[in-house]
Amino acid sequence: MERRSNLVAVFGAALAGAVLVYGASSVLNPYLLSIIAFLGINVILAVSLNITNGFTGLFSLGHPAFMTIGGYVTAIMTILPARKAHLLPDLPAFLARMQWPFLPALIAGGLVATLAAIIVGFPVLRLRGHYLAVATLGLIFIIQGLATNLDGYTRGALGLNGLPELTNLWWVYGWMLLTLYVCWTVKHSSLGRTMMAIRENELAAACLGVKITRTRILSFALGAFFAGVAGGLWAHLVTLITPTSFTFLLAFQLVVIVVLGGSGSITGATLVAAALTIATEALHPVEEAVGLYGLSQTLLAIAVLLVLIYRPKGLFGMAEPDLLAWIRKLPGRQPTHSGSKRHREV
Amino acid sequence: MKSILTRLMTAAAVIGMLATVPHVKAADPIKIVALYNLSAGGLASIDGPSLNGVKLMAKQINDAGGLLGGRMIELTAIDTKNDLKEAATGAKRAVSMEGVVAGIGHSDTTFALASAPLFQAQGLPFVTSGATSPDLPDMIGGEMFLACFADDVQAHAMAEYAYNTLGIHNIVMWTDNAMDYTKGLSKYFQDRFTKLGGKVLLNDIYMTEDKDFSALVSRLKANPDAQGVFASSGPDTAGIIIKQIREAGIKLPILGGDGYDTELVSTVPGPDLSDNVYFTTHAYVGLDTGTAKAFREAYQKEFGNPPENAFAALGYDAMGLVADAIKRAGSTDAAAITKALNETTAYPAVTGQIAFKNGSRIPSKPVAIMYVDHGKVNLKTTVTPQG
Amino acid sequence: MTAAYVLEQIANGIILGSMYALIAIGFSLIYGIVRLINFAHGDIVTIGAFAMLASITAFHAPFPVAVIVVLVVGAAVGMLIERIAFRPMRGAPQVTGFIASLAVAIVIENLGIMTVTAQPRNFIVPAYLGAFIRLGPLQIRAIDLAIVVLAIILMTALALFVRFTKAGMAMRATAENYNVARLMGINIDRMIMLAFAIGSALAAAAGLMWGSKYSQISPLMGLIPGLKAFVAAVIGGVGSISGAMLGGYVLGLAEVLFVGLLPPEYSGYRNVFVFATLIVILLVMPNGLLGRSTEDRA
Repeated sequence: MERRSNLVAVFGAALAGAVLVYGASSVLNPYLLSIIAFLGINVILAVSLNITNGFTGLFSLGHPAFMTIGGYVTAIMTILPARKAHLLPDLPAFLARMQWPFLPALIAGGLVATLAAIIVGFPVLRLRGHYLAVATLGLIFIIQGLATNLDGYTRGALGLNGLPELTNLWWVYGWMLLTLYVCWTVKHSSLGRTMMAIRENELAAACLGVKITRTRILSFALGAFFAGVAGGLWAHLVTLITPTSFTFLLAFQLVVIVVLGGSGSITGATLVAAALTIATEALHPVEEAVGLYGLSQTLLAIAVLLVLIYRPKGLFGMAEPDLLAWIRKLPGRQPTHSGSKRHREV
Repeated sequence: MKSILTRLMTAAAVIGMLATVPHVKAADPIKIVALYNLSAGGLASIDGPSLNGVKLMAKQINDAGGLLGGRMIELTAIDTKNDLKEAATGAKRAVSMEGVVAGIGHSDTTFALASAPLFQAQGLPFVTSGATSPDLPDMIGGEMFLACFADDVQAHAMAEYAYNTLGIHNIVMWTDNAMDYTKGLSKYFQDRFTKLGGKVLLNDIYMTEDKDFSALVSRLKANPDAQGVFASSGPDTAGIIIKQIREAGIKLPILGGDGYDTELVSTVPGPDLSDNVYFTTHAYVGLDTGTAKAFREAYQKEFGNPPENAFAALGYDAMGLVADAIKRAGSTDAAAITKALNETTAYPAVTGQIAFKNGSRIPSKPVAIMYVDHGKVNLKTTVTPQG
Repeated sequence: MTAAYVLEQIANGIILGSMYALIAIGFSLIYGIVRLINFAHGDIVTIGAFAMLASITAFHAPFPVAVIVVLVVGAAVGMLIERIAFRPMRGAPQVTGFIASLAVAIVIENLGIMTVTAQPRNFIVPAYLGAFIRLGPLQIRAIDLAIVVLAIILMTALALFVRFTKAGMAMRATAENYNVARLMGINIDRMIMLAFAIGSALAAAAGLMWGSKYSQISPLMGLIPGLKAFVAAVIGGVGSISGAMLGGYVLGLAEVLFVGLLPPEYSGYRNVFVFATLIVILLVMPNGLLGRSTEDRA
């Protein structure tokens, strides 16, 4: 592969994506914009979960827990200090006085989520397979329970509402590019190969000198960071975060996306996240027209079953199909700078 | 690349069209959106009837020739699926539709907080039929109206009724800590009850998804001085709580708020156990006089069953309130409708006359106190709380 | 806190635990044979409850007959799900089956919402089940006693079946070693069907108990009991039937005692406690209480 031309193509795609974001932001109505923003957030979530579940083969359901942590931390950092004193009386003084711009607030959310992942990861990541799944599932309930009951820090069941609507397409797009870039780099680095070695055969990897625990925690923490950021983006898009904003149902959806796309395939996760977001939304008016509420979920679930039956390894397996090449081969198209990468993103 | 781009754009366009292009009707319909949780969770048992009420009122107006000289009401019902993200995107979809003039919806504060701000941001009025937090208008802004009384009013009414009329001076409180509504209701009840001189012996909490209250029941039993239980609960758990308290042989009066106003309160415990329960609600839909009777008969005719609860009436009233404002505004301009809503002085609603006084966007309405006697729900009295 | 109070809490824990145990057995049974975490299992609980409601209200079946109907319906639905959804993807990675079961769960729940609506409805049981029974210092209801007794009968029957019948032995052999069992001439397809049938019948029975005890059912009612039972199965050691029973009772007791014995301020932390306990148990005994260390057969 000519690396240089690929690099140019990827850069071009990112740029063209930016142009599209600019176009969309000025043309589309708020509803479509918010759907595209949710699409981007779902891509961030699915791709980052892929680091843990796909690359390292840790079956984690913990993403919603990290989103909740990240979402609350980000929100606490962006709320006006004057309001904070009234809303969250138990907050330590130094936090209550602070108000940060969006970017550092998001990073703070991501970092606290990372910290939580490291603390939880040390004991929990010793577990395997479904045991790990149920432990991380438990983490969701624990975080949710704490958020509901620690009123003075989180405002309990009411949650934090009236957050500034800071999230726009640019923020989502930027973070999505960063997520994709980091995941792509990790996958094709020695770290990524280490992760996949653990997934394929832990014992063999250990014998070859791979530091199992460290690598596992690293992949868990990296996924948690982006989940935390995504939680922050979500909260400032909906302008509200409550203890039940991110439930185990979301964890299931994300795992579905990762598996459907093919565990370990970044392209797959991205495409499926986008497709599912659009399909769910597009089916809503259908559902309303026929008056059968619940139809959209049923149809999507049946589609998932069909994919699993006919493509049991997901759509792409581990592979990253070379969409650029595929597009270049399309008859009658000249090789373009942008490629499809952007389409997965926008 | 282009082919994918075109396809993507087409897809977006199709979605956009589906979202914005309505079914074609008579010239220039008046578009109103209703947002309710229809397909998931216990809220469905109050949101479903609410939407039916909204639909009934819209149909009656249209059958009578529409508004503003023959313009029909075109209602779009959006299911928010008991999911805050769906509430937010649903509201965004609503405000993005061409020509929407107002929104109606929700019976729970948390959901109203997710969707109403988006109407506020577009300067469109939003009338909630059943979200009862008294802080809602302040938290959201000038476009936010309640068609119902707020929780402080119903909780104060129940506290006064319990203390003065029922003679309950020592009470045990149960609160669902996972709902904002139930927490608020308990807070207002306790404020008023203790101010009157009553004593709260025990504050016990649970979460909405709990179905087993045996531990709380045992603890209640361990308080022999208790003269009653105030169980602040949503529709999901109200019936189960009554059943489990009664099954333990505890005969104390059980008190609650409008979350009790579903048939589950009598059917789940059954007629033997569903007894000596008092709850506050918005109106008694079983009344045999005036608007309540007409409403009940129309509802029965339209949906094949009598109104399930007061929330059906609230939906009907919320729609009626908006239509009344459009009529008085004489236009579908959002600002004019908001202004007309603010000037509502005597809208004859099924749930009691609605007036927005002194700049408040919460109506001052009397509270109906219902009594469940061996599974039969009857109006006990109507009170207007003192303070 | 009197002795009677504590005793009452223990009784409540056992009642709740009986239902968890019945559901958890299905998780373990199915996992033992096909290495599948079947998340649609909780929805069999829902189906059991609705089957009960239908046979009593629509067909006016007497209660004992209705119980049989529920068991049969549960088994039939379990086998149907296996045939339609899981058999075509047998041999796929473990996580694929897990996702498929989620999809099945979503289909069942939403079909339920579309046919009977999401609104909870009441569940009628015969009056004699509501009568009080005095057991020493305890006063419990007939339904509670019936739940515990029925659970014990069903679990004993299962234990005897697995231990002494030919089919039961074949099932154990399949769980022990799938490939060797096949070489021994055991019809694997039939064994898997059987595991689904038995596990689902027990879950349906739990659904009928759940509905009778709490008197309120809805298409989404199976979600939380299913999840908790999964936790119970993992605590006991997934794959072990006796582990699932033990896990069910441990979880039921832990949950009730946590809320009952600690001050009320902590009641809200019920789930936090349940799942924290789970994590601690797993850390101390990574294969659950009675589970054996086996490599995942991916």
